[in-house]
Amino acid sequence: MTLPCNFFVAQVMTELALSHYLLTSAVLFVVGLVGFLARRNMIIMFLCTELMFQAAAIAMIAFSRYHMNVQGQTFVIFILTVAAAEAALALGLVVLLYRRKETLSADAWSELRE
Amino acid sequence: MDPSIPFLACLVGAAAMFVMLRPGPKAVRGGAAVVGLGVFAWMAVEGVKHLARTGLPALGDAQPTDRPEVFYLIFSLIAVASAVRMITHPRPVYCALYFVMVVLSSAALFLMLEAEFMAFALVIVYAGAILITYMFVLMLAQQAPEGNQPHAQPDYDVLAREPAAAAVVGFIMLWLLTSMIFDGMGGARPSQTFDQAEAAVWDELGNMPRQVSQAVEHQSPGSTLVNDGRILIVDDRPTVEVIKAGEATPTTLQLPASIRPNNVQLVGMDLVAKFPVSLELAGVILLMAMFGAVVLARKQIEMGEDETREAAGMRRLDLHVDDDQFDGGAGR
Repeated sequence: MTLPCNFFVAQVMTELALSHYLLTSAVLFVVGLVGFLARRNMIIMFLCTELMFQAAAIAMIAFSRYHMNVQGQTFVIFILTVAAAEAALALGLVVLLYRRKETLSADAWSELRE
Repeated sequence: MDPSIPFLACLVGAAAMFVMLRPGPKAVRGGAAVVGLGVFAWMAVEGVKHLARTGLPALGDAQPTDRPEVFYLIFSLIAVASAVRMITHPRPVYCALYFVMVVLSSAALFLMLEAEFMAFALVIVYAGAILITYMFVLMLAQQAPEGNQPHAQPDYDVLAREPAAAAVVGFIMLWLLTSMIFDGMGGARPSQTFDQAEAAVWDELGNMPRQVSQAVEHQSPGSTLVNDGRILIVDDRPTVEVIKAGEATPTTLQLPASIRPNNVQLVGMDLVAKFPVSLELAGVILLMAMFGAVVLARKQIEMGEDETREAAGMRRLDLHVDDDQFDGGAGR
């Protein structure tokens, strides 16, 4: 196969490399999950959800490269959109809650579950 | 692979995470961090051995590559280490900065995966915009230091909520994910061969007629494209059919390698041509989020215009309008 390529020698990603990226993605996702469960600061909890978004994006890009199809990259754009919208709304809410009780602790709002 | 390897690795990793989530001496927490990262690297290396034994998939004529493994290991270790530090650091501002580190190193991973556009979009949107918003809110909601202890941290930043339960959940989740990743490998095949993928990339060029006609004009001036400028693969080379100046019959013309659509063009074409409705919906979501944020931010404003002007040291306007005209129904 001699189709000309811009910068790279014709290369195909192996499953080996794919599993590496998936491993990184899984570890980042689980770290984000543990952080969401363990931290008590509301802002950090939302930051941990951003970390989980990030892990999903890495998996998408790795699969996109593996299948040689850019749709995975297109989907990451939508992930970014949702992450930005979530950050704006969540932070607006957090500021509102902070003004009410002067604390960022999520436990301060535990009466909501009753 | 021996199924006990991901089990053991995840167990040790979860234990290290548990130690790091609890306040303790620096040496113990640092040791736990080293052990956790070591386990992560061990899992990656064992996975490599396992896959090397089962053999690599058929790759067509293209050159298989194991990518620069060294850079993968460097950047993913940075990403994982900063992620762990992010959820264990007691100061929220440092957490946000460590998250920037995670974003930058995953942008490097994206570059290695040849997703150049997304790598830069990630740095601009995530590190540049979203994280700045987070930092801004963190500064806004910073609690004033109490009296004689200027460096004291509030309780909820220092003490984790049920670190044991969180570590157990993390262990189960990670064990599940890693065993699925390592067991599933060897069955998955790329959905298309390299040749098909490359042909599809050149096919995209058919949607960019100006680029094709410029390339043709550059190679043989005065010739006209026939067959609607369709790209044909002849002898593994992308070609178009043209009628050269002063000739009657069409001939084929090879296209130069330099006009192969790049990553930005491919992503843009995919986004606009294949998912136009999703693109519009993404815009609507962003607009709604902006409205939502504005409504939420207005909630607490209770000052009328005159009071605002007074607070800013300006003359009162003495407008005699009803108060509820200004508070937007929110300042109750």
